[in-house]
Amino acid sequence: MTVRKLEGTHTRLLQKIKESLDRLNDKMEVIIELQKHSSEANVEIPDVLDVMTLLSLPDHLRKTAITICKFEQATAEEVAEQTKRARAVESSYLNQLVMMGYLKKERRGRKAYFFVDKDGGNKTWQKS
Amino acid sequence: MAKIIAIHSYKGGTGKTLLSLNLAALYANRGKNVCLFDLDFRAPSLQSILKAKSTEYWINDYLNGVCDIKKILVDVSKTYAKRGSLLVGFANPSTEAIREMSAKDRKWEMKALGRLLSLKNSLLNDMHFDYIIFDTSPGLQYSSINAIVSADLVLVVSGMDISDIKGTQRMIDELYDLFEKKTGLLMNKVFANFLTTKGHRQELAKKLVNNSSLPLVDMVPCFCDILRSGGTVVFSNENPDHPFVKILDRVATTIDTL
Repeated sequence: MTVRKLEGTHTRLLQKIKESLDRLNDKMEVIIELQKHSSEANVEIPDVLDVMTLLSLPDHLRKTAITICKFEQATAEEVAEQTKRARAVESSYLNQLVMMGYLKKERRGRKAYFFVDKDGGNKTWQKS
Repeated sequence: MAKIIAIHSYKGGTGKTLLSLNLAALYANRGKNVCLFDLDFRAPSLQSILKAKSTEYWINDYLNGVCDIKKILVDVSKTYAKRGSLLVGFANPSTEAIREMSAKDRKWEMKALGRLLSLKNSLLNDMHFDYIIFDTSPGLQYSSINAIVSADLVLVVSGMDISDIKGTQRMIDELYDLFEKKTGLLMNKVFANFLTTKGHRQELAKKLVNNSSLPLVDMVPCFCDILRSGGTVVFSNENPDHPFVKILDRVATTIDTL
């Protein structure tokens, strides 16, 4: 293979690499844009446990969520006393609400307390 | 038994405010301690009806977290209650306040729900009120749904208009039932000819009950005297022998059994 032919092969290879990098760049830009919009959407529709959210929850979770709203904060046992359902069932529903971002959970000693995160970090309802 | 009653309707102009105020006055005249709240932030009216002076704090301020509930309560017992007590929480009727309330975000509404829910402790348990009555805004909006969620019982008022009845039915199925609220239906401004005889009343009641799953609390005919008063009269006090007051007395008794 002559030197000229070798240079030609390298040039074509570099060209292909450049084209691949350009395509990758295009895709990266789309992903970045999508992520940007998705985070904006999260800002507009925060995970807030308001009445519209309560309405949209399935019946079994709504009952648990309303009980927490009434109590300000409660353990699974306290919620179960109100809803007349088993403690283990309420514990599962409360943890689901935590995973959905509507409730916060805090362990104090041996008890786990669930509460509505009103101020994004402020742990309890503001007392009147 | 102490309870929180939300008076709600699908459409506006069904008579919620008149019923709320007269029901509150009626309970007070029975010797009960009553607290009435104007939660219709888009069209506050109780202050005008009761000709009350402007207050330093409004229910808006309580919900904004600016003040304690005691600061906003205005005692109108001397003028409007013969035996018990009647305290009112007025909504701020200024255009600026109405605009501000209509621009609240979801997080604020969530906190407002918490503050309304806490009234059960502060007013019923600590201050020993017997009844809290919420005069709500019509339809499905934040302030009215917050009131419904916070109440023990919803008295839904409907006129005879087909759109009102259908809308009320939808609210029963898609709102009150979801929140598992005790609910009573009060038909208001019913064409008087429909209620002239016992047979007529039973026929209409049967038709309404068949169309809705709610317990029909009562049917109130359209009274020209009420229209003539121009919304300036607490009927329970000024016309104790009026048929409207007698029906409302029956309604108050039925509510206690719900």
